[in-house]
Parts: sequence; C-alpha cells; structure tokens
Amino acid sequence: MSTRADELINEYLDRLEEELADFPSTRRRELVQEISAHIAEARASLENEDEASIRNLLDRMGDPADIAAEAAGPPPAEASRRPEAIVQEPRAGAIEIGALVLLLIGGLVLPVIGWIVGVVLLWVSSAWTLPQKLLGTLVVPGGLALPIGLGVLATSSATCVQVPLPATPNAMACSSGGSGG
Amino acid sequence: MVATQDALLAQMRRGTLQYCVLSLLADEERYGFDLVRGLAELDGMVTSEGTIYPLLSRLRRDGLVESNWQESPSGPPRRYYRLTNAGRAALDAFRLEWRRFRDAVDHFVERTDER
Repeated sequence: MSTRADELINEYLDRLEEELADFPSTRRRELVQEISAHIAEARASLENEDEASIRNLLDRMGDPADIAAEAAGPPPAEASRRPEAIVQEPRAGAIEIGALVLLLIGGLVLPVIGWIVGVVLLWVSSAWTLPQKLLGTLVVPGGLALPIGLGVLATSSATCVQVPLPATPNAMACSSGGSGG
Repeated sequence: MVATQDALLAQMRRGTLQYCVLSLLADEERYGFDLVRGLAELDGMVTSEGTIYPLLSRLRRDGLVESNWQESPSGPPRRYYRLTNAGRAALDAFRLEWRRFRDAVDHFVERTDER
C-alpha cells in the first residue's frame, strides 16, 4: 500500500512542480519543499493509511493550479478584471483633442482647411460612434448644416426670411422681463 | 445567488486570511503544518491547505514574518515562522480597522435579523 501512496503523492508533487514552472527556481523549490513536508506530516498523523485516506489528504491540500494561482499574486478574480475595463474605456487622446479644437475654431485660424482637418481627425478617432461623427461633421460650429441651410433659405425665399440668430430669443426674454418689473 | 455568495465568501476569506495567520503568530512561532491546523480548527477559514504556503511566502517577502528551519523530532526539518515588528504593526492596524468595519456591518445586518 505504501508504494501506491508514494505514487499518488509523487504525482501530486510533480503536478505542482509543473504548475509552478514559470516561477524562479528558488521559489518553486521552496514551495514544493514546504508542501511536501506538510504532506509528510499529515501522512504521519493518519490513523490508517490507505488509498482513500491519501487521496483525501491530497484533496485537502488543494489543486496544484490553485496553489500556483495563489503564488502568482493576490485576487485573481476582481483585481485582474477591473484595470482591463479601465484601459478599454475611450480616453481623450491627442487625436480627439485636436479634432475638437479644429472643429470649433480651426476654421477661424485657417479658413476651411482647419475645419476639414478637424473633420478628418474626428473620423480617424475611435473614441466616437458613427452617429456622433455625423453629428460632429454636420452640426458643430462651422459644420456643414448651417451653410447648407442658409443656402437653401437664400435660394427659396431670399426676400423675406431673416436667419434666426441665437441671441434673438434671449433679447426678447430680457425686454419682456424688464417691462414687467 | 449561491454562486455569487460563494465568490463573496472566497473574497472575504482571501482578504482576511493573512491577518488570521499573523494573529496565530502573534504569541508564538509556528511551522506551516501547525499553522494550517490552527486555522482549520475554525470552520471555513481554509479550503485548500496548500495555498497557505504561497501566502506565507508573500508575507515573508513583504517583511511581515520571518522564518528559520529547525530540526524536527520526527521527519524532515520544519520551517518556523514568527512575526516581525512590521508584521505586528500591520496586525494592530488591521485590528483597529476590522473592529470599526465589523461594528458598522453588524449595526445594519444584526438589526435586520431581529425584525
């Protein structure tokens, strides 16, 4: 029986050694040595040694893979998942900042071309979705929507339509507030 | 629910186990097998005994415990672990935090229980 027990224990220690293959040899030797001493001690305290009791003893030691995982470092579950999620989150890089700056004021610094470069950067970036990119191209100040809209208005009803400026409603609100008080 | 509760328990055990080990070493030096037996006396603290050794190795590298080999009356030599000053300080700090945390959780959990 003792040879079968030795076999089982040696198999276990071999598997442990394999699982620890990536560790520096001093750490690996140290862990295997201590765990093998633990097994010897537990084995000596068995009341009667048979295959079942040896298997039970090795079960209590745990899967060599778990021991290696513990040796590899703390919290395999939580901590290793979270930083990944943070890394994957889109962050404002040079391209994104450049796109925003050029879309907003690029046209003022370098007429048309500045804005076009901004649009190119906008579409190159992976931080925005397709609808957001369309929105950015058409609507952001200097975008295509305003010139196109103005062009349509100018040709269809050039005589009577005034372009509503953003300031107008505010001005009206102010004047009405003033007369009331 | 059961699966997540198991995971939660595993995490809580993982987070507190090293302080249980430091506590066991607070008054006397012990060797690995003896430590494991001490932990196993309380249900649920150790699920796989072998994982104590990587933990001890980490505590040693962090300077919280130190060890030396001693001859055993029977069988191979044993590695005895004892607390360092840094280990004692870490244990004291944890005790303080743990009491505060435990009392806070008890405050809610135990009261709900009585209803």
